[in-house]
Amino acid sequence: MDIQDYFSLVFSDYTLRTITLGTAILGAVTGMLGSFAVLRKQSLLGDAISHAALPGIAIAFLITGAKDTNVLLLGALVSGLIGTFWIRGIVKKTHLKSDTALGLILSLFFGFGMLLLTFIQKQPNANQAGLDKYLFGQAATLVESDVWLMAIVTGFCLFVLLLFWKEFKLLLFDADYTKTLGFNTTFIDILITSFIVLAIVLGLQTVGVVLMSAMLLAPAAAARQWTNSLSTMVILAALFGAFSGVFGTAISASQNNLSTGPVIVLVAAVFVIFSFIFSPGRGLLFKKIRFIKNRRDLELHKTLAFMHHIAATHEDISHPHAIKLLNNFQGYTRATLQKLVEKDYVRLEGNLWCLTETGFETAANLYTKQSTKDE
Amino acid sequence: MNSAQIEIQLIASLVAIACAIPGTFLVLRKMAMISDAISHSILPGIVIGFFITQDLNSPLLILLAAFTGVITVVLVEYIQKTGLVKEDTAIGLVFPALFSIGVILIAKNANDVHLDIDAVLLGELAFAPFDRLLIANVDVGPKSLWIIGSILLITLSLLIAFFKELKVSTFDAGLAASLGFSPAIIHYGLMSVASVTTVGAFDAVGAILVVALMIAPAATAYLLTTNLKKMLGLAIGFGVLSAISGYWFAHWLDASIAGSITTMLGLLFLMVYLFAPSKGVIAVLYREKQQRTEVSLLTFLLHLKNHDEAEERHVNHLREHINWQKVRAKTVLELALKNNMIVVEKNIVSLTEKGDTFTSKAIDYIITNRDAQIEDMKDDFFLFRG
Repeated sequence: MDIQDYFSLVFSDYTLRTITLGTAILGAVTGMLGSFAVLRKQSLLGDAISHAALPGIAIAFLITGAKDTNVLLLGALVSGLIGTFWIRGIVKKTHLKSDTALGLILSLFFGFGMLLLTFIQKQPNANQAGLDKYLFGQAATLVESDVWLMAIVTGFCLFVLLLFWKEFKLLLFDADYTKTLGFNTTFIDILITSFIVLAIVLGLQTVGVVLMSAMLLAPAAAARQWTNSLSTMVILAALFGAFSGVFGTAISASQNNLSTGPVIVLVAAVFVIFSFIFSPGRGLLFKKIRFIKNRRDLELHKTLAFMHHIAATHEDISHPHAIKLLNNFQGYTRATLQKLVEKDYVRLEGNLWCLTETGFETAANLYTKQSTKDE
Repeated sequence: MNSAQIEIQLIASLVAIACAIPGTFLVLRKMAMISDAISHSILPGIVIGFFITQDLNSPLLILLAAFTGVITVVLVEYIQKTGLVKEDTAIGLVFPALFSIGVILIAKNANDVHLDIDAVLLGELAFAPFDRLLIANVDVGPKSLWIIGSILLITLSLLIAFFKELKVSTFDAGLAASLGFSPAIIHYGLMSVASVTTVGAFDAVGAILVVALMIAPAATAYLLTTNLKKMLGLAIGFGVLSAISGYWFAHWLDASIAGSITTMLGLLFLMVYLFAPSKGVIAVLYREKQQRTEVSLLTFLLHLKNHDEAEERHVNHLREHINWQKVRAKTVLELALKNNMIVVEKNIVSLTEKGDTFTSKAIDYIITNRDAQIEDMKDDFFLFRG
């Protein structure tokens, strides 16, 4: 099946439609909430939480003995939240830094989860097969009810996000100010963190523990490059996330042996690389171009200043100079000087260059400005 | 205890020591999450190495994987330097992408070979004694024992050779640079050791659980000491302790050895986190409570000093006026009484001579903020300590 087949099948094939919708919704909600995680410098929280959710899944299975998705996700949510709050506790109450706390909770919870999983596998209960899909994720296991659950949670997130938009925004950019305004920052903080945990837990089944953190970060990091406005960033991140989901599913469906999760992550990574290079405001390409342009302007001004310096010692401003003279001293190229001609700062007389009236004035101004700055 | 059991415990302990050494420095350098990133992103290195050599224990595979680990660090630093995103986001972007490439490579090419992601990520220590190293047909022990043993030896000799440099550059990178050791070389050296250790340990305990062995013992030790040598020693001790107790726990439960080692590490950390003498949560909470009481006491004494009127100094009035809860007011009153700062006569509180001097000194201190004023008070009053 190639990509074209995929797009024609998406609307008719039940499985494909379910998976595509599921990954799209997942991408949108993680992009949306990921924006907050990235701006709050909690990027790696996603990584930690997605690992910390594993023992919850195992314990939920041990208690109920059934493989009901909702119950397992509830277990994941609880253990993710415990992990998150323990991370906060470690950072607040000890001198361990947040990276240590994150790595600690991540690995300890995950290890404990592994212990429980292997313990479960030894149990005389045939039901346990497939629990490890939460490790690496299997988009193919999504069914319609999962997509409904995702849609409902996303809708709820969106509702709360709009309801507390002002508070979230304030807390994001100036936590102390928010506190002095009388908002309950702890409550807002817990609310947004809980939603981030919720989004991660939702994605476990689809892209798995290890790749979930990328889903949270990549769309948001890409969106950040295109805008300085929070609302635009959230919308863009949701779009990027949804597109990563759809394209990732399409690519993985069109080939054999291509797991959906990693492909979605790689598509999101492509969005990030593209944004890093080509975004107009912050992108590397335009930054480089601006840098070159600035340097050229600087060189131009230096030439002009130098010509002004020479002209100042002559009676006649527009006394012509051989290009050689300028070259000898400063090493400027013909092309640079040509720029000055275009700006009408310099006139060409045969092989000789002379300063025009405008050029002299500009240069004089430049000189004054420089000298006043020096003082 | 049979020889396989001894071998497993030996391998687990060596892995624990080999991880605890770079882990200590990663924790101190606030780079703990880098170890997590490396542990994931070595996957493509392992896969490519495996495709070339078809042998999970080949040295080439270790080198390639370690190289991928260093590439991760370089990429993270490059992205961070562009200033487009923060460091943590850079880490979070790089390793899932590399990991995804690894997973896809396995899925596309490794249908018929013995390599699956579970093996790389989760490892299985129980199988380690079966894969033996034969030299001229003589069995010299399990392969993993030799691999991790040599890595540990290299780590140890590097640690001893560069201890001073590591120490200085960890705590004061600027000083290290001005003394002439390049922080970059130390940095990448440490990263290389961390990657090599991660790779060396992956088939014993799995790549993800290496992170636990790197961070948890070091973090636990850091709660108990601030002396680098002691911290290293404690971290190694915790690592070995969890490795051995974890093995027996797994033996009893019949479950994953790596998982139970990690669980042991977790329990150890939890114990120290709660009960560490000065940095544990209980000690911190107790100290905070004590501080709050002492601040309240001072407020109370100041109030008494400022008011001569009887009604302002009535026990019940104080409660309303300073708006304390009943219990807290009682604690403060009792503390003041016990220290002979106040006397209570017919429910009217007044300062004793001692309380009066004390309060004057405290005011003096608050106004001038000069330490000399309170030198002699420091002993009996927590508030002014530190």
